[in-house]
Amino acid sequence: MLRVSRLSKSFGTLLAAREVSFEVRAGEIYGLLGPNGAGKTTTLSMICGLLRPDTGDIHVDGTNFWSEPNRAKRILGVAPQDLALYEELTGRENLEFWGRLAGLDRATAVRRAGELLEALALVERAGDLVKNYSGGMKRRINLGAALMHRPRLLLLDEPTVGIDPQARARVVDFIQTLASEGMAILYTTHYLEEAEQLCHRVGILDHGKLHAEGTVAELQQRLGGERFFVIEGRFADANPASWNGFEQRFKILQRTDRQIVAAAMGTRDPSDCLRELLALPVPVENVTLKRPSLNDVFLQLTGREWRD
Amino acid sequence: MRHLFLIGHHDLRLFLRNRSSWIWLVVMPLAFVYFMGFANRGPGGPRTTRPLLLVDNRDTGFLGVAFLAELGEQGLEVRLPSHPHSDQARRGIRIPTNFTDTVIAGNQGRVVFFTPGGTDDPSSALIEMRVLRATIALNSHLLEGLGADTDTTPTADALEAVRHREARVRLDARHAGRKPIPTGFNFSLPGILVMYLMMNLLTFGGVTLAWERRSGVLRRMQVHPVTNAALIGGKIYGLLLLAGIQIAVLLLAGRFLFSVNLGDNLLGILAVLAIYAWVAASIGILLGSILRSEDKVVGLCVLVSMVMAALGGCWWPLEIVPETFQFLAHCLPTGWAMDALHQLITFGSDLTAARRPLAALLGFAAVANLAAIRFFRV
Repeated sequence: MLRVSRLSKSFGTLLAAREVSFEVRAGEIYGLLGPNGAGKTTTLSMICGLLRPDTGDIHVDGTNFWSEPNRAKRILGVAPQDLALYEELTGRENLEFWGRLAGLDRATAVRRAGELLEALALVERAGDLVKNYSGGMKRRINLGAALMHRPRLLLLDEPTVGIDPQARARVVDFIQTLASEGMAILYTTHYLEEAEQLCHRVGILDHGKLHAEGTVAELQQRLGGERFFVIEGRFADANPASWNGFEQRFKILQRTDRQIVAAAMGTRDPSDCLRELLALPVPVENVTLKRPSLNDVFLQLTGREWRD
Repeated sequence: MRHLFLIGHHDLRLFLRNRSSWIWLVVMPLAFVYFMGFANRGPGGPRTTRPLLLVDNRDTGFLGVAFLAELGEQGLEVRLPSHPHSDQARRGIRIPTNFTDTVIAGNQGRVVFFTPGGTDDPSSALIEMRVLRATIALNSHLLEGLGADTDTTPTADALEAVRHREARVRLDARHAGRKPIPTGFNFSLPGILVMYLMMNLLTFGGVTLAWERRSGVLRRMQVHPVTNAALIGGKIYGLLLLAGIQIAVLLLAGRFLFSVNLGDNLLGILAVLAIYAWVAASIGILLGSILRSEDKVVGLCVLVSMVMAALGGCWWPLEIVPETFQFLAHCLPTGWAMDALHQLITFGSDLTAARRPLAALLGFAAVANLAAIRFFRV
């Protein structure tokens, strides 16, 4: 449904996107992950036509975006990170206005707004002004406004930012329902746990570059296995290269004075690995076995913590 | 065009839903029309000025009545002490009891001039002059009625016949080369309408655009198949609808509440106001594109509209300011709008007299519109 090929964009000397390429298929939720300033919003802005890329192509449903922008815009639905809603209008009026702007006639917009209010569990508050809504309700209306014209490709920019866990779970459930109905969804977030739960595939973006993409399991495999070890101790003066065979059996992912994060190489049993680690020629205080998370993947790919 | 109308109607709905909009659209302008009209009331236009004169006529003969008629002929509105609003008169005369008999007897009748309550009044010189003219006219009619025969006693019929005879010599005075200065509500209605149209369209247009940009609404509009032309056009169309409401309310109030004679060129007046509103709406969109925050937009819009109103002749007639300021007024759309409206409303001219101001306003509209398109950003 969406194919992005070697997309680049710079603002003066700042390279906001560097040859970014990925695809989103029908029925798939693709998570574009990255910390603030990674280039997610720039990439999304190029995909929906707000920014023109310096180089690269965007194909929506097989057609180049810029050769037929209005056709692409009719296929696209965009829920921006900002709550771009009219607070002095009711939730229903907001949906109807955005639906009509997307090309629906008045009767269809009214009918579709009713359907979405029901699906988003907002029927009872449909006649209230949006300024009186909670953060979660505003997010749902923001999402609904993007769905009025039944888009086949949905771009969601941080759709759960700033809302409580209960409201977030409700939004996530709704997005999963949309994907199950065949909608292609490009989802940006900096909540890694949410991406792990929701996305079929993810791409990790930092400093405008797509460092890796694949399923969460595939990315975890890139760390050298399905699990790794967190070793706590005093490592300020330690030299792992001098430890007998350590670098042949373990790959160091991160090292500080107090901690080493290492992935076991090969297919050894974890209990064997634990014994080897406890026998290291340095005082080891604790060893924890852990499944790699997307944060660990990001750390391994970029060399920095997610929240740095 | 569909998007243009949709955006325009949507904006109008948002403007009107805000209660404070009605204060700036209707309440404040009407209050200012009244206040400025009251403050700028003058002796009135030369064709309509009839200063009040309280006349205490104690004479029972025909000469007292004839003198009253003559005072009326000379442009005074005569009020008798029995009139319920006789206290409004600031000058008065007393005709003595035996005035007719005294004059017929060939003696001098003494009419006493007095100032009720000792008040001062700027129209006193005009009243004195007209009383004097009425006195001269009455004496002339008496002399003409008597002819050469000084022994004949003048009669009421003879005097009336002389009064209604066509004058052999008559002075017909008109304004030559200089327009009368508009005053009262005739002045304040166009002035306040021009000022508030500029202020409201600048402020509503600018603030709406600045807010929509800050909140991301403009960017959201652009991910739909909406062109920039439809977006800007829709914004200007919405502001023109808003202007239409304000124009209708003020013209109706002017006609029926303040008794302003709008002349015979209502369509011409509407055309001038529509073009002027187009100028103001375009400037509003321009300011909303250039300035980032709503606070800055409000501050600048109020300042700009006040300065343009003052310099453009909305607060005082341009006829009383030095030539430099008259030139400055015509560097602004407000000055040209006031020119056109005074031609059509105050002086009752037809649309051809407002051709120059209309052409100037069209020029302002084109430039402001192009600038709004050039600097528009989401």
